[in-house]
Amino acid sequence: MRVAIEGLEVALSGRTVVSGVDLLAEDGEIAGLIGPNGSGKSTLLRTVYRYLRPHAGRVLLGGTDIRSLTPAASARLVAALPQERGSDFELSVRAVVAMGRTPYKRAFAGEDRADADLVTAALEQVGMAGAGGRRFSALSGGERQRVLLARALAQDPKVLVLDEPTNHLDVQHQVELLALLRAQRRTTLLSLHDLNAAASLCDRLHVLHEGSLVASGTPREVLTPELLAEVFGVRVAVVDHPLTGDPLIAFDHRAM
Amino acid sequence: MTALATAAEAEAEREPGARAGWVGALLGVALVAALIASVCLGSSDVPLGEVWSSVARGISGEEPVPGTRDLIVWQLRVPRALLAAVVGAGLGLVGTAVQALVRNPLADPYLLGISSGASLGAVAAIVLGAGAGGLLGLGLSSAAFVGALASFTLVWAMARRDGGFSPLRLVLSGVGIGQFLSGFTHYLVLQAGDDQQTHGVLFWLMGSLGGAQWSTLALPVAAVLLGLVVLLARARALDAMLMGDETAAGLGVDVARLRRELFVVTSVLTGVLVSVSGAIGFVGLMVPHVCRMVVGGAHRRLLPVAGLFGAVLLVVVDLVARTALPDQELPVGVVTALIGAPTLLYLLDRRLERG
Repeated sequence: MRVAIEGLEVALSGRTVVSGVDLLAEDGEIAGLIGPNGSGKSTLLRTVYRYLRPHAGRVLLGGTDIRSLTPAASARLVAALPQERGSDFELSVRAVVAMGRTPYKRAFAGEDRADADLVTAALEQVGMAGAGGRRFSALSGGERQRVLLARALAQDPKVLVLDEPTNHLDVQHQVELLALLRAQRRTTLLSLHDLNAAASLCDRLHVLHEGSLVASGTPREVLTPELLAEVFGVRVAVVDHPLTGDPLIAFDHRAM
Repeated sequence: MTALATAAEAEAEREPGARAGWVGALLGVALVAALIASVCLGSSDVPLGEVWSSVARGISGEEPVPGTRDLIVWQLRVPRALLAAVVGAGLGLVGTAVQALVRNPLADPYLLGISSGASLGAVAAIVLGAGAGGLLGLGLSSAAFVGALASFTLVWAMARRDGGFSPLRLVLSGVGIGQFLSGFTHYLVLQAGDDQQTHGVLFWLMGSLGGAQWSTLALPVAAVLLGLVVLLARARALDAMLMGDETAAGLGVDVARLRRELFVVTSVLTGVLVSVSGAIGFVGLMVPHVCRMVVGGAHRRLLPVAGLFGAVLLVVVDLVARTALPDQELPVGVVTALIGAPTLLYLLDRRLERG
């Protein structure tokens, strides 16, 4: 499902955090948001999963303004993986994944066979089959993130929205998680800190700087030394990845 | 080795929530047993057979037979045991809901000062002469509800900074505001100047089930049943809240509305419970904890189990409070504090350790 963001403007406690952002993610495309801390990536994503209400502008899902849908109806289309990492409330892994069914269930309704199957399938997809009875809070960071992705998959969404999904993961788990996302073939909107991960995963990149969109395009179009110097204030060389052929950003860690 | 590994796998597959049915049935049996024990035992023990005949006469509406202990059984002990069960169930539910609402397993209506607000509301209503009458004690309960809602809002505003709560900040705000309000309650009870001052202070600040009558039962029963239904209807949204506001929003939960609803439900329940039993502490803290460990954190199963366990716990605690000392009855809140405060310290220690 196509996601279109038009003229988005968000103000938080009086301060404009995102202004005038237009952005398009075609059906089945993985769209990455990059930009320094505080550039408005999380804020933008939060308007897509309706944690924040935009000040102006709108978010369209396949042509429908999400604000015209009920919260449950838009949650059936968009699943989010925010940066929250849960708490110690003795939730089992299965209970966490089953939360993905929330937007489909009426009050008092229990889990039916179809729900149970979706939950099991989602756990299998992320390689956590058989872990359903474990305590969520006792999992490692990588396992937790995979379970949260399983929750998003159990939501059976048309669009996945992920805020820094690889944060706090070691390299192996980062690679695994990105491979999982690539295999989904769903419209995906995500923010990433790791520019090389963004270059290899995303079909299109959108660069945010101080709340405004400063560049959009394929990774090769966007990831230029000039732009990275301007937005991130770093000196880099962009070369071809010897294994994959993707753009590879080599930082000059000695430059001041 | 392989056998062990398969056993561990099978164990991992098993959901804690799957136990809820058995646990619920067990708690149901325990509740009946506790109620029977509570009616039989006391300052004078009544044999089971005599209890049955008294209860049978009571139910059929016959006059109490002179020379028997019909009055003690039917007019004192049965309503008191039932009140203990209802209040315990209510406290278990409120504790569960409040902990999800503030996303903090250290919360409890007593610790957060909500009960203190309810007590102050009720006492103020009595002193002003407004609350004593009214249908089924509705006047008193309404005043307690207003007090509960006001103090909860105050604690919320104090504890919420930068969009989050630290557990310590929340508990300290609750205790601070609770103490402040209790000071007022104390003052008002003493100013009221009747001859039962000490009793009044003990009732409102420590909690007591001594005032149980058949006529005081209807309102808390209705409130607790209604509360259970309202909370169960939001069980999935409550689960989502445990993960965080953003997660809940992403799952299609209207977080702001749910929070308002929970504010009202917990304040209504606390108000009604306090108006019939005073501010009984720590039950709302302990019950959800224990129940989560047994049936897991998902609310569809947790809520009914927490209600049942709260009922069993308070019936037993009240029995202990009535029979521990030979010639004297302890307020039930004294006993819950003796068990609950160390529990709180243990939980606090564990949480601070984890950071």
